[in-house]
Amino acid sequence: MVEIVQKIKDEFELAFSQVKDKASLMNLKSEYVGKSGKIGLILKSLKDADVETKQQVGKDSNLLKGEVEQMITEKIKSFELEEINKNLEKKKIDISLRSSLQDKGLSSAGFHPVSAIQREIEDIFVSMGFDILDGPHIEDDYHNFEALNIPANHPARDMQDTFWFKDMKHLLRTHTSSIQVRGMESKQPPFKFVGPGKVFRCEATDASHEMVFHQLEGMMVGENISVANLIYFMKTLLSEIFKKETNVRLRPGFFPFVEPGFELDIECLICGGKGCSVCKQSGWVELLPCGMVHPNVLKYGNIDTSKYNGFAFGLGLDRLVMMRYGIDDIRNLHSGDLRFVSQFAEF
Amino acid sequence: MLVSINWIKQYVDLPENITKQELGEKFTLATCEVEKVEAINQYFDLVKIVKVTGVEPHPSADKLRLATVDLGNGESATIVCGAPNVRPGILVPYAPVWAVLPGDFAIEPRKIRGVESCGMLCGETELAIGDDDYGLKEFPEDAPVGMPLSKYLGIETDIIFDIDNKSITHRPDLWGHYGMAREFATVFKKELKDPFSAEWKSAIESKIVKGKSQVERVIEDGTACLAYCSAVVKNVKVGQSPDWLKNRLSSAGLRSINNIVDISNFVMLELGMPNHIFDLSEIKGNKIVIRQAGEDKEFVTLDEAVRNLEPTDSMVCDAERPLAIAGIMGGLNSGVSDSTTELFIETANWVDAMIRKTSTRIGLRTDSSLRFEKHLDSQQCKLAMYRIIDLICQICPDAVVEGDIEFGGVDSKPYSPVMITTSAKTITDTLGIFVDEAEIVDILQRLAFLVEKKGDKLSITVPSFRATKDVSCEADIIEEIGRIIGFDNITPVAPESSLTTVRLSPAKQKERRIKDFLVYSYKALEIMTYPMVGEALLKKAQWPELNEELVLVNSISRDADRMRPSLIPGVLKACAENVKNYSDFRFFEFGRSYHAGGEFAVEKPVLLVGAFSKKATPFMELQDKIEELCSVLRLRPRFEQKSLEQIVPSSWVGIHPFENVGVSAMGKPFAQIFTVHPSLMSEFKMKGFLSLAVVDLSNVMDVELSSNVKYLPLPKFPSSTFDCTVVVPSGEPVARLVEVVSKVKIKEIASVKIADIFEPEDSSKKYVTVRTVFQDRAATLTREFLENSYNQVVKSLEKAGFGLKVD
Repeated sequence: MVEIVQKIKDEFELAFSQVKDKASLMNLKSEYVGKSGKIGLILKSLKDADVETKQQVGKDSNLLKGEVEQMITEKIKSFELEEINKNLEKKKIDISLRSSLQDKGLSSAGFHPVSAIQREIEDIFVSMGFDILDGPHIEDDYHNFEALNIPANHPARDMQDTFWFKDMKHLLRTHTSSIQVRGMESKQPPFKFVGPGKVFRCEATDASHEMVFHQLEGMMVGENISVANLIYFMKTLLSEIFKKETNVRLRPGFFPFVEPGFELDIECLICGGKGCSVCKQSGWVELLPCGMVHPNVLKYGNIDTSKYNGFAFGLGLDRLVMMRYGIDDIRNLHSGDLRFVSQFAEF
Repeated sequence: MLVSINWIKQYVDLPENITKQELGEKFTLATCEVEKVEAINQYFDLVKIVKVTGVEPHPSADKLRLATVDLGNGESATIVCGAPNVRPGILVPYAPVWAVLPGDFAIEPRKIRGVESCGMLCGETELAIGDDDYGLKEFPEDAPVGMPLSKYLGIETDIIFDIDNKSITHRPDLWGHYGMAREFATVFKKELKDPFSAEWKSAIESKIVKGKSQVERVIEDGTACLAYCSAVVKNVKVGQSPDWLKNRLSSAGLRSINNIVDISNFVMLELGMPNHIFDLSEIKGNKIVIRQAGEDKEFVTLDEAVRNLEPTDSMVCDAERPLAIAGIMGGLNSGVSDSTTELFIETANWVDAMIRKTSTRIGLRTDSSLRFEKHLDSQQCKLAMYRIIDLICQICPDAVVEGDIEFGGVDSKPYSPVMITTSAKTITDTLGIFVDEAEIVDILQRLAFLVEKKGDKLSITVPSFRATKDVSCEADIIEEIGRIIGFDNITPVAPESSLTTVRLSPAKQKERRIKDFLVYSYKALEIMTYPMVGEALLKKAQWPELNEELVLVNSISRDADRMRPSLIPGVLKACAENVKNYSDFRFFEFGRSYHAGGEFAVEKPVLLVGAFSKKATPFMELQDKIEELCSVLRLRPRFEQKSLEQIVPSSWVGIHPFENVGVSAMGKPFAQIFTVHPSLMSEFKMKGFLSLAVVDLSNVMDVELSSNVKYLPLPKFPSSTFDCTVVVPSGEPVARLVEVVSKVKIKEIASVKIADIFEPEDSSKKYVTVRTVFQDRAATLTREFLENSYNQVVKSLEKAGFGLKVD
């Protein structure tokens, strides 16, 4: 580099290193690369020099001009960034003050545990090809009893169990089995469906007894349905619900609408079948009644019993919820108490 | 019901190599639920007679001593003992370590004041063999050292099954030990002994002094009597029962009274047939009449309680007065007493439902009524009578049966058997496990069915004691086979079925959409409240419908004696509780309201969404959410400031005068959104603002959810926005402006919104900026068109009374 250019360069670099703000930088810019800046003037000052020198100086000073411009642009950018950041700092917010730390009342949201488990079980059945049905809570004698092979003098019809209305013909359904009857009325075999919903029992309430609770009825009707099929469905269902391989056993149980009828027990989930206080040392917990649909019930449903048979079962949803979460008082379920439901919140 | 295994062993030899728990479990899986297996008196096998050989002082306790005892097997033990009568030479009971004495008192190895005690020397009370609690029980000098007390005292150890009564409601034959024994014999493939053979019967008949009974019997119509068997026995001596009889009764949970009453109870527990024994001398006029109670209003039963009678109750009477409430309990006036010498014995059968009805009404459920309720087999009356006579003659050898055993009643004719046809194939197919025909026949025969092979069919005769309410069709036979081979042995098999697709019903889809939306978008909590309410709550909520038509006749509580006409009262009650805990909350319930109508009642699917805040009304946020919910349900709502009678009765006073809007969809009332009136809030002691939305879903649930999305290519031409600010009276709803401009007939209007509202303080006016966006999808909007359109917008507003704001 020619001496004179080098001199201006040194001079610039010294000045540049001392620049503190954008304004002085702009001054420096016009001083060196402005219209009549120092770099532009170099060539003019060499009017009398030879061509070769002029060419060399011109090349060098152009190079210097480029360098200077770039340095200044970069410096401007860094000044601007500094300014923006300063501004940001002024507007700084306290990012630790999340909503969840503030008292805004109750802000959690979620489903009632019974409706959550109901949906979970519905989904399992839908995945196995079952429809979901429902029926009225206020039923007549026919759908709740007669069509389920529960004849006129059967103890199940007693006042102790059933809420009756004044006409003594209508009642609050005592089980979701009435949905079986409604299902058979509306469907042609083969079919399979579940019917979840509220049921009512005339029973004094305490921590483990409720007058309103929830069941899920299931029914499958087809050709050549066997007890082995019933066990298969129950085992699949329960393994899904409890999210692990669940052992079940059937023992005889009497329900007028099934024959053979069973009580289905599951291996105690608390002790794994070894025996504990929950399973009364037996290793098994009674979970649901089920069985092969009684031929009389199929006949009431206008189903040809020479061709079709089927199975049915009823699952108590409240029990399941209480088992899953260790809920000690069933009355919480219908209390409308947000301290209760908020424990099962989604968020 | 309690079942004594010792008793069962009288009729069937049970397998030896099986624990009592296994026995119980096997029985549970095959027959009925064994709730508890209990070993009784087991400690008498462990507690032995020992001889005290030496007594030393306890090194660190004055009142205790160390006794050395001879255990009788060549071994000795040292026991810490505090009894005053412990001394060398006496024979006393010794409970070794791990014996469990009455009161669940387990002997554990432990040190007493520093000295190890190997068991315990016992007194009478500790062993429950007497009341003397002075010190150790002392046995005579000649008592055999080392002998277990069970052997020395002749105490029977037993295993008791506690059977869940509910699991045998359909099995009248299982309410006695002999019926249970038949099950054990079948389950364990053992032989059932027959103590009631033809020879046995004829031996009893030979004891009868033939002739007409001295007691005349009349069975009137309209009574519960199905069959009535009776006999007269004289020359009996009432006294203590022999030990075996006392033992049997106590193991089955009954107290011994006297030999005659004990025999009566024993036969009930053995054969499952309740019976009644009268003191013959108390039967007036030598006449037994089974009739309705009629004029008799009251009756004193054996337990000395006065029972109120209904005219239709069945009574066993003599010529003058009732002697027993049929099938339930005898009277105080005619029971067997210590001075009784002559008996009138009744073994009868009664109509199950009538017994149950009377027993339920008078609140008296006896061992007898419990069995008759199950519909017993009339054919068993005579057997029970023979057995009673058999036992009386055994225990009172001088007794004389005077006159014939008489048997009558509508059901006393010989049994016409129930026949069922099935096949091994049907049984195999239904159970889903192969069952050999020979095994089927074997099982059924053990259960007392008669089986005849007809080709590949089996013709089965049901025994009378299974035919009353239990076995009537092929499915019942399949159950018999299934339970005996063990349902547990069936391998799960997936059913063969064709592929079907399943889709949630429109109602289910909507329910899920609604709940998801309210949880995830509105951040609400789902609650449930009772579908039943009480009058008091309805009145407190000033609800105009009391739903008198839907009152329950047998409600549990007055607070839940009728179906709710609306979810609102119950939710107000729940909210009143929740405001005690939270300053702000949002919730919803997806339930039903119940109304008289239709065939009997109409159930409406109802959604109730609510928001509470202590500080400010949540009405607007709730209204916005319901509008969004309409979109989620693909509904186009119409909001109007009015009450929709179908959703909330207009006479209800709980609605805020201004924060109240009715929403219609598909031309029908859909929802009412409102804030609860402050006066009702204070009725429920709530301070703050509660807004509710009641959504009637009955018209929308079953409608298929259709998507109204229609794609349009993205616009190629710019849109134009026009803002104009107009003067509006301050009470005027601004929605009116949007409505006015939306009605301007320019098809290029893409949207009309409120852009800004400025309301100067102390002014009766507000300034509202209406923003209209114009868009032509096919061309750029010309200046001329726009100017013309702007004018039209302004004119329409002016025409509606909203002039441009002049600066």
